[in-house]
Amino acid sequence: MGINKSRPIYEKLRIDPKGRAHLIVTDLASVPEDAIEADPAFSNIESWVVGIGAPGIAAEARGNLRAFRAVADLRSHLSHRLARETMGFRLYALGSEAFLWDVMTLGREAGLGEGEIFLNQAGTLRRRVYCTHCKTMNENVATHIVVCQACGATLFVRDHFSRRLAAFMGVKVDAEVPGEVPAPEVLYP
Amino acid sequence: MKARIADIQSLGPAIKRLVLAPSGAELFPAASAGANILLEIPGPERVWKNAYSLVSAPGERNRYEIIVRRVRQSRGGSAWLHDHAVIGQELEIGVPANFFPIAKAAKKHLLLSAGIGITPFLSYLAALQAAKAAFELHHCCRGEEAGLFRDLLPQSAQAVLHTSRNTLDLVKLLSVQKLHTHLYVCGPEAFMDLVVATALRLGWPRAKIHEESFGGATGGAPFIVKLARSGIAVQVRADETLLEALQNAGVDAPCLCRGGACGVCELPVLEGVPEHHDHFLSEQKRAGNTSIMTCVSRAKTPELVLDF
Repeated sequence: MGINKSRPIYEKLRIDPKGRAHLIVTDLASVPEDAIEADPAFSNIESWVVGIGAPGIAAEARGNLRAFRAVADLRSHLSHRLARETMGFRLYALGSEAFLWDVMTLGREAGLGEGEIFLNQAGTLRRRVYCTHCKTMNENVATHIVVCQACGATLFVRDHFSRRLAAFMGVKVDAEVPGEVPAPEVLYP
Repeated sequence: MKARIADIQSLGPAIKRLVLAPSGAELFPAASAGANILLEIPGPERVWKNAYSLVSAPGERNRYEIIVRRVRQSRGGSAWLHDHAVIGQELEIGVPANFFPIAKAAKKHLLLSAGIGITPFLSYLAALQAAKAAFELHHCCRGEEAGLFRDLLPQSAQAVLHTSRNTLDLVKLLSVQKLHTHLYVCGPEAFMDLVVATALRLGWPRAKIHEESFGGATGGAPFIVKLARSGIAVQVRADETLLEALQNAGVDAPCLCRGGACGVCELPVLEGVPEHHDHFLSEQKRAGNTSIMTCVSRAKTPELVLDF
């Protein structure tokens, strides 16, 4: 198999020493201890997580942790926050691929660019699948075949990721022979 | 292409505006904001090729305007334009090139200039005002030239003139900018270095800092350059650049912008220590001294050996 150019390659997050203020956002309930490399000298690091009363939040002790009820809640606060931020700010996103690229879109809209925003995948490998027929996003897809929740088309989840849509492309699997559908397999747990 | 000097205006003791018009019936090509042209200046013993920012409005095809300061440490080109250029004279000019364009992604443009570094921003102002874009211009100059630059700047709260360093709080200005601001710097090397170093220290990413310098292509101490592949040795005189010396010796050295910005003229250094004046090489490459931009950089050692 050749290299799939549409799939982003991620690297371990590292607090950029050139930044003046750092915000880590994740769709996980906590930022795992080993998820981010940081010089202990850095203090201006804030973490935003999703989940209430989630255990194992190491950052809480530092008093710069904020927990949101849902990912949508975090996202909407993030766009307000980015609109107020000033140069020297660095944004780090950790989580599912769909979450990462939603954050990237918000960051880009606010003006963040190369060297100011960093992504790394963590947690679920489930995919957001874009139905190329009715343009509906199907969230948390674990199988390589999925029925579109909106139009009912049986979609094959292509290994083609759109950074703009933060989603994988889903195309009708039985377009040639209607009804001929392979058994769905769990490929993205 | 051929251009005719249509007008020469003295803006100050050492600063002149030259208006160039097409020699024939054909109009000039349209240039974008920040573009420069290469002017061939016919000296008595040699031809200088100097790049000047266009200060005329972007898109203007009937005339190109440039502003020339007589540089004390000049290789001779700017002095010739001040002393010998006359209205009606024909000059050879290149088509406009732009190594300092306005960043389309920016929602606000922060322009910082000093001295004659104002020139690219004069065309920026026309474009930014026409697009109703958010911008802020801070221009620094010596007190005795304040009147001259005040006349060049628009009467707007967005354009601020500083005649003493103390009135421009660089750290404050650079630290309050929103994430969608881009920074543009043009002026003498020391000014540009200060602004860029301050911005980087405050966490500005490189991608949002845009630099333009014409101060680089000055003369300096003479040195000898040896080309390892052809075995040629060329003397670089005090009043010419390394690139000019190579080209005068018949060497087909690569080049494009002649201002240390585009990177085309980069050549590998085998021996000797370059004196870097460009704005292209990364800090790492600069420190390594393994390559040189021949259009603006010189040598710290009496001799340089290039892999060419």
